Amino acid sequence: MPKSAYLLRWRVMDGLEALVAAIWPRHFHRALPYVMLLPAVLLVLLLVIGMIQIGDSSARTLDRSTFLPSDFYTAGNYQRIFTDGLYWSILWRSLLGSVIVTALCLVFAFPYSYLMVRTPSALLRKFLLIALFLPFFIGQVVRAYGWLIILGNQGVVNEMLGLIGVAPIRLLYNYPAVLFGLVQYMIPFAVLMLAPALTAIPEEMESAANSLGANWWRTFIHVVLPMARPGLVGAGLVVLTLSLTDFAMPAILGGGSQDFIANAIYDQFFRTSDQGMGAALTLILVGVGSLLVGVVFTLFGAGTLAMGRDRK
Amino acid sequence: MTSQAEAVAPRSSLPVAVSVQKVDMTFDGFQAVKGASFDLAEGRFLTILGPSGSGKTTLLRMIAGFQRPSAGEIFINGVPVSAAPPHKRSIGMVFQKLALFPHMTAAENVAFPLKMRRFDANTIPERVKRYLDLVQLGPYADRRIHQLSGGQQQRVAIARALVFEPDLLLLDEPLAALDRKLREEMQLEFRRIQRELGVTTINVTHDQREALVVSDEVIVMDKGVIQQNAAPAQTYRTPANAFVAGFIGVTNFLSGKVVAVEGANLTYEAAGEAMQGHWSAPGAPQLGATVTGALRAEQIRLAASVAELSACQTVKTGVVTDAIFEGERIVYEIALTGAPGTVLRAFDHDPVTHKQFAIGETMAMGWNARDVLTFPN
Repeated sequence: MPKSAYLLRWRVMDGLEALVAAIWPRHFHRALPYVMLLPAVLLVLLLVIGMIQIGDSSARTLDRSTFLPSDFYTAGNYQRIFTDGLYWSILWRSLLGSVIVTALCLVFAFPYSYLMVRTPSALLRKFLLIALFLPFFIGQVVRAYGWLIILGNQGVVNEMLGLIGVAPIRLLYNYPAVLFGLVQYMIPFAVLMLAPALTAIPEEMESAANSLGANWWRTFIHVVLPMARPGLVGAGLVVLTLSLTDFAMPAILGGGSQDFIANAIYDQFFRTSDQGMGAALTLILVGVGSLLVGVVFTLFGAGTLAMGRDRK
Repeated sequence: MTSQAEAVAPRSSLPVAVSVQKVDMTFDGFQAVKGASFDLAEGRFLTILGPSGSGKTTLLRMIAGFQRPSAGEIFINGVPVSAAPPHKRSIGMVFQKLALFPHMTAAENVAFPLKMRRFDANTIPERVKRYLDLVQLGPYADRRIHQLSGGQQQRVAIARALVFEPDLLLLDEPLAALDRKLREEMQLEFRRIQRELGVTTINVTHDQREALVVSDEVIVMDKGVIQQNAAPAQTYRTPANAFVAGFIGVTNFLSGKVVAVEGANLTYEAAGEAMQGHWSAPGAPQLGATVTGALRAEQIRLAASVAELSACQTVKTGVVTDAIFEGERIVYEIALTGAPGTVLRAFDHDPVTHKQFAIGETMAMGWNARDVLTFPN
């Protein structure tokens, strides 16, 4: 068959392959994976440059008379953070909040994921999946404003309470409101991280535990929960880091009285224009977050976030 | 099905351990099991054999308690159990994919049922060790499941199912995924352990060889109905119907109309030729009725010429269409002369001294009337 008789599509593909072979000789092929890695590495590298910049700023205090950073290095910013009770309380509030939110999210996400994975009804599974993705179409800020409408002093909840004669309750601008908003925001992330881990547990495991004498509660405690650990660790890490660094929920539902670290950083950069202080807080946040993740890694393994053969 | 009563093997006088009575199972209008009934005496090894979709696994899952029968009742040691959940029954089960707990060691897996069933904590280590020794895994007690070979995992699963001394052991095709050599080894291992402990066992499989090798009794199921319940050799020698004859062994089927009847012997016309057969169903054959004759491949004598088969009642010739050398036997496929499209399978069990016929050569085949088991169509 003459070459011209081939399909046009084939000839185009042949031409492209010849072109690739000409500009990318065969012995370069081993470098291909590294070349494909390059964009990601470059992006991370840019962030590292930013981090160095932030590190530099964090070691310069703001001169209140000239509003310029000092031209010498000093630990002043860190000293202020560690001696000022305000920062300790913000740090503590963020840490405690993210731990509580993580725990609640795992508790709520587990039954949801389990039902989604195990239900024999395709309809219910689809409904649960859609319900899971729907909130992603609404940004975090819009969602937080939605809660203002529902939970405000003249909000839906208080109006309903008014109907049965209950005086308006202050539901917003306190710590529980922030945690509530965060839990509501994070549950879909936790479900998404948990579901694959639960899918990986064969139903036969639960049947086996049953036949060996375990009721559903003991099957859950001794078989399902330990086998779901990679998913719990993965979901926990995602929720923990996202909550620890969250900005919108404490800002909107906390009304300025329930700042997390990210809010404090924002204030330093954009309200008091103390770049050095903001940079120091940023580095502390990165440090605390990394430490937390490191502790979870060493205690429980990397869960579903770990790749490769020897993941636990 | 109707010949079941006469086909049932003489039962031991032991008490009945499992009694399944008129059990039905319907899923969304589909009847997976229809009117299944059988009794199994204590200490016996029963295999439920059938193709996929025959309802054998559904029946097993109902006995285990994972599914509740739509109708009928299951008794274990005389007690109706249909309402009891699996964990309240005394049944050890080895699952198809074993379902060993990957987060536990071999010993922890075996200890699991003892802990769940609240055995005296002081006796657990000794008992775990005894059962791991029984399956020859003593030295591997502290290995994780993924550190064990396929055969070793099978053994852990057996030990785990037996360690709490259940009334009944259920095997849900646990050997299906193994390679042939290991599978045959494990079949004998199952049999050894079952005999040593005397535990009543129900095994489910689609492997006819396994059913014949390991069992005291075989139930053949098809389309949700029990087709035959008999001892292995009896199932093979006197199948209750054409399905059983075809499912176990290599069987040739020749169907046609009855032209003469003489007691249990009959003559029918198949593929344009007269065929002698032996009536193998209840009742008597009717003239003019369509029947199916089942002829086992190993019952066909083979020779180069018709003259050599003078001892056989029926002698036919045919042309070899395929000859497969399998080592211990040669499998021939032979197209019957004068009956285009009718191909018989036959074995030559002496491939060492006999010459192998080539494709296209003509061979003579002979058999006796009693070898052709005829059933109503």
